[in-house]
Amino acid sequence: MNMDSTVIQLNNVSKQFGNKHAVRHISLNITSGSIVAILGPNGAGKTTTMKMMLGLSSPSSGEVTVLGMAPDHKQVRQRMGVMLQDVSVMDGLTVREIIRMVHSYYPTPLDTDVIEGLTGLAPAALNRRAEKLSGGQKRSLNFALAMAGDPDVLFFDEPTVGMDSETRRHFWIQIRALAQQGKTVVFTTHYLHEADEAADRIILFNEGSIVADGTPDSIKGGITKRTLSFSFSSDLDIRTQVEGLSGVDKIEYRKNRCILHTQDTDALIRHIITIQLPVQEIRIEAGQLDDAYATLLETIKEDH
Amino acid sequence: MSMLLAQSRVEMLRMSRNVYFVFWSLLMPVLFYILYTRIFTTDAVDAQQWNAHYLMSMTCFSVMGSSIMTLGIRLVQERVHGWVTYLRVTPLPNSIYFGGKMIGQTFIHLCSIIIIFISGYLINGVSLTASQWIGSALWILAGSLPFLALGTCIGTFRRVDTASGLSNALYLSLALLGGMWMPLDVMPDWLRQIGSWLPSHSFGNGAWVLIAGDMPHMRDILLLAAYLVGFMLLSTYIRSKQKEA
Repeated sequence: MNMDSTVIQLNNVSKQFGNKHAVRHISLNITSGSIVAILGPNGAGKTTTMKMMLGLSSPSSGEVTVLGMAPDHKQVRQRMGVMLQDVSVMDGLTVREIIRMVHSYYPTPLDTDVIEGLTGLAPAALNRRAEKLSGGQKRSLNFALAMAGDPDVLFFDEPTVGMDSETRRHFWIQIRALAQQGKTVVFTTHYLHEADEAADRIILFNEGSIVADGTPDSIKGGITKRTLSFSFSSDLDIRTQVEGLSGVDKIEYRKNRCILHTQDTDALIRHIITIQLPVQEIRIEAGQLDDAYATLLETIKEDH
Repeated sequence: MSMLLAQSRVEMLRMSRNVYFVFWSLLMPVLFYILYTRIFTTDAVDAQQWNAHYLMSMTCFSVMGSSIMTLGIRLVQERVHGWVTYLRVTPLPNSIYFGGKMIGQTFIHLCSIIIIFISGYLINGVSLTASQWIGSALWILAGSLPFLALGTCIGTFRRVDTASGLSNALYLSLALLGGMWMPLDVMPDWLRQIGSWLPSHSFGNGAWVLIAGDMPHMRDILLLAAYLVGFMLLSTYIRSKQKEA
């Protein structure tokens, strides 16, 4: 397969529920072998978009194709693996029995022992009833089931919710290995750091639209702000001087500490020294990624 | 084909492990049978005939219950737990999912029938001719179809609580008014009138008539067929409505 070939294509897709626009005019291409994070806060349209890619929901307008076909085509189903949110395991069956059952759905599945291995469960747990597993173990089973058909395209809706940190780490290692085999991985998340660590492309959603699309670095560079802060004596009124500084996006005062937001902290600190602003304890901090993400989403909201 | 077999097998396994099913569909009918043939007995009726008659009532009661409740509640549970959504993104066709349920359910019904018939034989020495045993078993299997269709209607409910409440109420009132617990003759006339139009009565009646040495009446067959079509249409209608939403 050509590495640049398009696996998933959305063409001017919108989805409306009654009067509510869940997704507005989205167009995107996802190429094979990439790990794509669909990032955004709750209600941004991530899950709706993924459901349309899965053929679980049909767009109100526009077109979605997966592997060049309608997503609900049987041949697409045979080549995709899915792990959804809020899907429990089938009750009344052991882990092994569920694996055998799902294995029988696919024309060219992985061997059952490989699938059993993917669950990461101990042999004793494989013979237990699936409903008796812990939440994290159920997620691991669902991951293994998503892999059962040896899929080319994988979809994960909020995959790491309910996983402990060790399982989470193991999960992302497996995902990277899969992408190296040329499989395409699409996942939704509302954690920026998760998208940053795992994906090679982030599509940022807010209120049903794509607000940013690019590599994690480019997205981060665009939204991370640096701050410069210092203390000053409350006897001196330095506010007019501070307000006169150039290149400052935002000024915050906390008691006798002043926090300046800027794109270029180097230039600002030089300037402060040059004009001999009477301040102490100067600190430069790179903004927390998550804060920056939250701020970004807030500003987007204000823009609307 | 192998997909269908695998799916049916899984459904059988799940049913046989379901405590709810074992209690309502095996334990209850057998207990009722003992209660009404060994403990509360009257001299007024021919004991032998009553024992065979009531055995048929209880077998029908069992199969009807499992068709309405086990199937219906399961369908709701599987949707609530997201399992149905998951299956939609696998290559498993919907027809195989339903087909597996129907075959699994029918096979389990056959087992229930055999178990209850054997307990009738052991408890009261009920003796019928081979063709009567087989004929009534086949009648009960075939006659369960409208109730399976009713089960798929129950299966469209969004909440397990409402589904289980309604199916319990339906099941018990169908059993009572259809004359499965006591013959319709002992009921007031107006109740008997209602009962004679219920699918549960036609279902039981076919079996009662068979063991009395007759063939099932055309009225009962037609009535059951009409209910089957009605419930299937209702279920299909609700499902298509839900899909649009």
